[in-house]
Amino acid sequence: MKRYLNGPLLVMLAPATVLLGVFILLPMLLTIWLSLQDWSTQTGFDTARFIGLDNFAEIFGPGSVGRDFKTALANTAIYTVASVAVILPLSVLFGLLVYQQRVAGGVVLRTILFSSYMVPMIAVTLVWSKLYSPSEGPLNQILGWLAIPPQKWLSSPDSALGSIVLLNVWQQVGYFTVLAVAGLTQIPKTLYEAAEVDGAGPVASFFRITLPLLRRTMLFSGVIAIINAVQVFEPVALITQGGPINSTNVLTYHIRRVGIERSQGGLGSAMAVTLMLALIVAVVALFAFARRGGEEE
Amino acid sequence: MRLVRVLTCAVGVAGLLTSTGAYADTTNVSFLTHWAPDTVAKLEAAAAAYSKDHPDVAITVRAVPFGDLLTTLRASGGSAGGATIAGIYNAWLPDLAKDKLLAPVPDAMATEIKSDWPAGIVGASSTGGALYGFPNEIDVYALNYNKKLFAAAGIKDAPKTWDEFLADAKALTDKSKGQQGFGMINSWAAGVIHPFSSLLVSNGGDLVVDGKPVLDSDAAKGTFELYETLVKNGYSDPTMATADANTTGPFLDNFVSGKTGMIIMANWWESALKSGMGAGFADVATAPIPVGPKGDKPRSISYSWMTVVNAKASAAEQKAAWDFLSWLDGPTSGPAGGSAMGDILMSMGILPSRTSDVAAFKDRLADPFLKGYLDTLPDAKPFPVVLGGQEFSEALQQHVEALQFGKESAADAQQGAQSDAVAILAKAAK
Repeated sequence: MKRYLNGPLLVMLAPATVLLGVFILLPMLLTIWLSLQDWSTQTGFDTARFIGLDNFAEIFGPGSVGRDFKTALANTAIYTVASVAVILPLSVLFGLLVYQQRVAGGVVLRTILFSSYMVPMIAVTLVWSKLYSPSEGPLNQILGWLAIPPQKWLSSPDSALGSIVLLNVWQQVGYFTVLAVAGLTQIPKTLYEAAEVDGAGPVASFFRITLPLLRRTMLFSGVIAIINAVQVFEPVALITQGGPINSTNVLTYHIRRVGIERSQGGLGSAMAVTLMLALIVAVVALFAFARRGGEEE
Repeated sequence: MRLVRVLTCAVGVAGLLTSTGAYADTTNVSFLTHWAPDTVAKLEAAAAAYSKDHPDVAITVRAVPFGDLLTTLRASGGSAGGATIAGIYNAWLPDLAKDKLLAPVPDAMATEIKSDWPAGIVGASSTGGALYGFPNEIDVYALNYNKKLFAAAGIKDAPKTWDEFLADAKALTDKSKGQQGFGMINSWAAGVIHPFSSLLVSNGGDLVVDGKPVLDSDAAKGTFELYETLVKNGYSDPTMATADANTTGPFLDNFVSGKTGMIIMANWWESALKSGMGAGFADVATAPIPVGPKGDKPRSISYSWMTVVNAKASAAEQKAAWDFLSWLDGPTSGPAGGSAMGDILMSMGILPSRTSDVAAFKDRLADPFLKGYLDTLPDAKPFPVVLGGQEFSEALQQHVEALQFGKESAADAQQGAQSDAVAILAKAAK
């Protein structure tokens, strides 16, 4: 019986397993191997020279390579945390607003919110680069009408990364709102009716019913938002090129600069492996946090 | 009936074979550049003119923003499917040649190039004793200033010394109008370090001597301190200085809209200024770089570009590419004994390097804006072409930008720049 089951099972699993192995697992293993080599991306793998952990020592070292990498790592972490911290609460807020079925135009509002996600990032980036123009940009003109002094946006190292976060929030929040709405539809109305009978107000219902029952949706949204944020590339490549003073230099852009522009494949791979490990740690920590929250309830 | 069907099939197969044969005989050559669409159109027109006499060669042009050019070359240019021809910045040459991405110029053509271009330009297009392409443009830096703003501030002549430069920058600064005296650039490596280097060499200094960085010199100390003075006194506002991947952005907007009194920029800037300013371009004048206290005369930085051929392209593609480049850069492809490449470069305000082009386009080179650059050229120092040059440039950029934004003092920026440069060039030379 066991042999009878194993044959078809293996046949069915093989295509997916082979594809995953060839296109995902193999490149990951190759990147890990390359991170331990001195290798130029313009030469064959046969020219790679094993140097142990030297690449990792250099990217965390005190030299210019280490300084730029650590800045890019910190920028990526700040960008990710800020993006997720703004997008998730906003998506729940917008989700609650557009989920009101008695309100006319809810579907239209949902469509408008989601439409920002459908616009290609490259177009969003080009438009926002003009919106942010310190001298002629509409954003500063609007602030001027409100008697708020013009902001430096992308032109200052103190505000450039925040400006990129704002652009990301605008583009992504619609998608996460749709996820939040999907989560809200799963909450039985009877729970709210029972809470109302027990005298619970809207605020109590939100914190005692809505938020706990949205936990799984929020966990999924959180993981996707983190992965999306870590992969930020277009706005940096098109508008800021990592500047001013590396203030918007994020890891994906920096890995491209080191690994491709400078052909330092070993160093670039070490950076990619570090990014992968950081992402794994962040996602595992998020799952652990969510599980712990669930157990406490 | 059966005979008719067989004959029809035979004719069809013959036709197919003939068309396949014709297709197989066409050599495809692709040209990668960072030029703007209107310049790309001129290159495409030149390619079409060449293809009329060479129907067996199909030339396509692909343009990417300057910020993506090196990455595109690195990512795809090194494969057989990458661009056959590419325009490159000469500072990238040693690294690209070391990685065997570029084909050396065939011997017969190299002899022609050596006789038709100045020796210094040929040298800048060579590395390891081999010539790697056709030199095309030369760029040199000079001071550009807004005559209208100068008149309004009561300044008669362009500054000749750093003292006059600082005095003029002060007079031109008017914060109530959002106006700065001198415009710096940030977020673009060449845009940051070329104007800085021009001031450095005009103060008697150098970036690299005999392959070793010399940013620890007194001349460099003075240049870092000049930047610090400009920023600390508000004569230069770094938040008006950002560039994007197309090398445009607020720094360009501020000069063309009359909010920046002076800048240090290269001659290729002319086309951007003309399109941004329209009739207001008449207010722009060119002058030599002001001389620092340790300098002997106005000096500047120059750099050049060249067209190279992909070493991984097939032999037929390489042959077609070199033949096309020889025609494009030759004296029969452009107007009045000039080359088509020279004509394209002149349309952007860029100085051609072929000796016969300088003569053929002498009327256009007499334009007051370009003449200011031509006058600067004889005393210009070539930007160092060394292994690790791009990384060296980006490291220096970070320190100059940190100085611009007050995140590092002049002394710290100088020390950091020298220390980074020593490590980067030593590692690249291994």
